[in-house]
Amino acid sequence: MPLTFIDIERQKSWRIGLFFIILLLMYFSSAMVIMLVAFGDIFAKDFLRGVFASFYIFIIAAVLAFVHFYLLSYGVAQTIKEKLGAADPDPEDELHKRLHNIMAEIHVATGKKRKMACTVIPGQAMNALAVDDFKGNALILITEGLISRLSRDQTEAVIAHEAYHILSGDCRESTLVVSLFGFSMPFIEKIMIYGGRAYIFSFILFKLGNLLNMLISREREYRADAGAVRMTRNPLALAETLHLLSKNWRGTGLIGSDLEGLCIVNPRLDYLDESEGFFADLFSSHPPIRKRIEILLAMAHASVAELEAKRRQNEEKPLPKETEKKYYALDAQYVWQGPFAVAELAALPWFSTLTWVSDGSETITKASEIPACSALFKTRIKQTEGRTTDYLCPVCQQQLIKQHYEQTRIYQCNYCGGTLVDGDKLPRIIIRHENAWSEKIKAQARATLKENQQSYIIHSAKQGKNKIVSLRCPKCKAIMWRTFYSYAYLIEIDRCICGAMWFDKDELSMLQCMIENKMAGEDFGKEDSKEDRTPPVSRQ
Amino acid sequence: MVGLIVLGCIGVIIAWGIVTFNRLVSLRNEVQNSWKQIDVQLKRRHDLIPNLVSVVKGTMEFEQDTLEKVINARAKAVSAGSVQEKVTAENMLTQALGKLFAVMENYPQLRSNDNIMQLQEELTSTENRIGFARQLYNDLVAQYRIKQEVFPNNIFVAFFGGFKKEVYFEAEEEAKKAPQADISIRRDSSH
Repeated sequence: MPLTFIDIERQKSWRIGLFFIILLLMYFSSAMVIMLVAFGDIFAKDFLRGVFASFYIFIIAAVLAFVHFYLLSYGVAQTIKEKLGAADPDPEDELHKRLHNIMAEIHVATGKKRKMACTVIPGQAMNALAVDDFKGNALILITEGLISRLSRDQTEAVIAHEAYHILSGDCRESTLVVSLFGFSMPFIEKIMIYGGRAYIFSFILFKLGNLLNMLISREREYRADAGAVRMTRNPLALAETLHLLSKNWRGTGLIGSDLEGLCIVNPRLDYLDESEGFFADLFSSHPPIRKRIEILLAMAHASVAELEAKRRQNEEKPLPKETEKKYYALDAQYVWQGPFAVAELAALPWFSTLTWVSDGSETITKASEIPACSALFKTRIKQTEGRTTDYLCPVCQQQLIKQHYEQTRIYQCNYCGGTLVDGDKLPRIIIRHENAWSEKIKAQARATLKENQQSYIIHSAKQGKNKIVSLRCPKCKAIMWRTFYSYAYLIEIDRCICGAMWFDKDELSMLQCMIENKMAGEDFGKEDSKEDRTPPVSRQ
Repeated sequence: MVGLIVLGCIGVIIAWGIVTFNRLVSLRNEVQNSWKQIDVQLKRRHDLIPNLVSVVKGTMEFEQDTLEKVINARAKAVSAGSVQEKVTAENMLTQALGKLFAVMENYPQLRSNDNIMQLQEELTSTENRIGFARQLYNDLVAQYRIKQEVFPNNIFVAFFGGFKKEVYFEAEEEAKKAPQADISIRRDSSH
């Protein structure tokens, strides 16, 4: 391994030439077989003509191989990006911005030798891959699930690992293997499933395809791990990441078996990958995760037990305290609004030092006389500055306020507590587990789910007669339709054709709570019959 | 025959001389370039600090001392001339900033301010970039020095001149102690 990154020159590898020759031979031999089967008698009769014919076949095979080579490998980075549905980092999103910064940092660490871009694959899976094609596009693809659950240092380790693949040039080789031989794999898999009699044929093809992993050496992962450590000087972060990856869904089904050679860990749980020895070394594309972690931990002088303890600790989120005092405030129309937390009070546009405030008891005081409120007035102007939007709340026709929630942007109404979420941001919010849910939200979620489960059939039958309040989308003014989020998570939301979704107060938290705690189905219903406390929330 | 051998030897020596010279020149340029990279990142930090200070000022009235240290260290770093001066001034600034971040942890109301969170992310990123740029610079300086000091090269360098020894960008005294601490605790102060 060279001492500095300047030394890592992109090797014009002889292996790339080898791949072309393999491809050429493949075409040539298959054409020759067809030739011999169809016109075998020509060869028998006239040897010279046979030699000429095979010469022509060779030229045709060479042209075909070249076209194949060019078409499939030239702009393959873009193809893979589109195939996985990856998008560039969203500048409005804090985690994406962090990712963008991390990419820039790694760029500095590598001495800016190579231009690399970073894109995000939507979804819960946890994996990352790098592609590098002949057009000069070097791409690092990282899943939303990974950036949401890793700390800054850990994400940096992953990016450094992928950047090393690109810098050292082995990424280009493996991208080439994937693009030349791998793209037919999903097709073959499909035949295997639906093929009937073609099963045996496709099974053989599938096994042959797996053999191509031979061309992607598992050594490269060890080297990239070492390279990442030399860049970030933080072996522990990478060890933690691998440990976490080994315990979670790495994208089986999302990332096809054609691309698995490019990933940081194999999305498929593969027996061969996890075993050692000559046979495994030869045929598998990834080294055992256990061994990778061992090597990294040896560098960091740490043990697996420490990793596990740390992971557990991170998973246990402290429950939010419900001790925060709530206040009611009297608005300009002399209607009591609330309850609001102190921070929510401050965001009300009409809230002033003279507003009458009650803490729920009989006493009513001016806001300025409550110390917690008066402290807010100092910072109040700065807080709402530039955060009001042109969008109006569909329920109470007031301006929505930009909010940061789970590190992305949502629009919230300060009156009814409703939330507008863009279609592309909701999946991110669901993946991120930053907030812990209070017992109140959990109980509400359970109750809503139960009630909706019971009344679902009646509800759908009555739908024609019931007067359903239809809201207009704050963004495009089209009428939104009211549906359940899904048939597993029966919670009513309003969807717009533009992708935006409207959640009434607490509905977003309830949805997140349901998904995180997997509250669906019958078993939950049984549990619930014992503790039916809170009534379901309905629209005001 | 002997003449041919002598001629061959001279040819080899000249070829070696050209290769060594070119290698040294390209390394020298790379070292200079990587120093420029550090400079770019330091400039970025200098630009970000006034923003942070002005945002934090209101909330952290009681920490004037810490804030002033940051401001002074920044002023010193901006006006520093020679490499050695710069290194010391920047190290002081790094320390002052570290202290400020530590103190900021005591003010939970700062966490709810998006502006500050963003600035902090930017500064964390800049700190990391400075770290990485310095790492690259030091690696290159080490390589350059080795190339100058190994056996036949040292005679060659002494003969030619023009290749001065570059200084390392050394870490501050505080940071040098770090390896003795528990290695499992990381610099993961952000988020």
